[in-house]
Amino acid sequence: MEDIFLINRREFLKKISLIAGSTAALASMPWLKIFDNDTFTGQASDKVRLGFIGIGDRGSALLQNVLAFAGLLNVEIAAICDNYPPNYERAVKFTNGKAKAFYNYADLLKMKDVDGVIIATPLHEHYRITMDALDAGFHVFCEKSMARTLDDTKKMYDEHLRTKRILQIGHQRVFSPVYLSAVQKIHGGDLGRITHMRAYWHRHGDWRRAVPKGRPELEKKINWRLYNSFSAGLFTELLSHQIQVANWIKNSFPVSVSANGSLIYWKDGRDVYDHIACLYEYPDNSQFIYDSITTNKHYGCEEQILGTKGSMELELNKVYKEKPPEPPAILQLINDIEKEVFETIPIGGASWVPETAANTKGDYITGNYKMDETKLQLEAFVHYIREGKAPEELPVQGYYATVWSLLAEQAANTRQCLKLDDKYRI
Amino acid sequence: MKNLTISGHRIKKELKILLICFFATVLLNVFAIIYYKTNWIELISQLHIVVLLSAIIYFLAVLIRIAAWFIAGMFKLRKNK
Repeated sequence: MEDIFLINRREFLKKISLIAGSTAALASMPWLKIFDNDTFTGQASDKVRLGFIGIGDRGSALLQNVLAFAGLLNVEIAAICDNYPPNYERAVKFTNGKAKAFYNYADLLKMKDVDGVIIATPLHEHYRITMDALDAGFHVFCEKSMARTLDDTKKMYDEHLRTKRILQIGHQRVFSPVYLSAVQKIHGGDLGRITHMRAYWHRHGDWRRAVPKGRPELEKKINWRLYNSFSAGLFTELLSHQIQVANWIKNSFPVSVSANGSLIYWKDGRDVYDHIACLYEYPDNSQFIYDSITTNKHYGCEEQILGTKGSMELELNKVYKEKPPEPPAILQLINDIEKEVFETIPIGGASWVPETAANTKGDYITGNYKMDETKLQLEAFVHYIREGKAPEELPVQGYYATVWSLLAEQAANTRQCLKLDDKYRI
Repeated sequence: MKNLTISGHRIKKELKILLICFFATVLLNVFAIIYYKTNWIELISQLHIVVLLSAIIYFLAVLIRIAAWFIAGMFKLRKNK
């Protein structure tokens, strides 16, 4: 029986090679070229050795993804590191004790035979660890967002240029077949001119992880997302994903952001907002409206791309034409005859029809697929390491996603409309 | 139980009527394509609707003919009285 992972991978590669075959698509998605390479499907000759730093929830997911393709792509998990004992022990178990295990990342960075590191620590630690890893000559995959401050984000990007090491940021949507197809269609003009974008991420929950009983000193270590000194909360953990998508679709970056934030519900000691709303403006004067909340999940997570010819809902993989295609002539004729015969002509009554949302089913942007984009971005990282370089657009996308998330946080704190200082442009 | 016999002549006549219904619907489709300025491919792609519509028209014709036969029978009965 064929391995399900191989089947899905093959399906994906078939889809992706169609996109990668288009010169126009490659211009805005150059990181796809790696998938158009024959060696990508085969057994790689030279082993890639990876180290993992930070193996909490996200780090574990990344580790398991790499373990799933390690044999196929000739990858070895050479080292793991986490300074929180339960995470450390879990990672040792995942790797069957074969990987060298550390509590201190500095010890991992002393290893000479590791090619790249995958960093999934709390946000405020990204900067120091990434800088040290790049400086020590490692290629780096760092989870989003890049850093806690604008200065640190810029320094990380500059260090990647200085050391000529790969710096890939964990924005997995750039490897999603749905998003890739959507962007290809949008850039090809299928939706007309993109005049507006909306996105939201609505959750219902306190976003807390359990802290072991009797260990209150671990609260900030475990629930770092809820504290300002470690994270910008919804800005850096959720918005950063969706502003990256907006930038990618617009093929440009915002010129300003206004934002607001409030802590109105989860008053449990946290100091990050539990509701945020942002308004970005792009160079063509179009706008991107965003909100994220933690007290209602009815609308979930979505990015809505609105153009003069149609709309897309990317999370739902749906596209809607602004003017749906006309039905066949014979049906139009029957409908018109039916209307003439049966429809009543109102003499008085309401002259206003409510402008509710169009109730059309739409089409799928691309067919269903089972491939996990998180796995794909890690596969790509492995291949970039093997080639010794990665397309510069990837860290640029990651950089501006972080920068504009952090700037939105500042805008919310100051209740101002902010522009990016020239010193942060790359 | 009495056997119901449908003559060859009757079958031929019904097939002719069905064929007329079908061609009338095709003509209706041609008219609609011209009127609504859609694609000529609909002559083939919408054939299923044309067939369905011609069947509906045929059955409507059957109903009208039954009604006409019934009314004619009534008149004949009155005349004979």
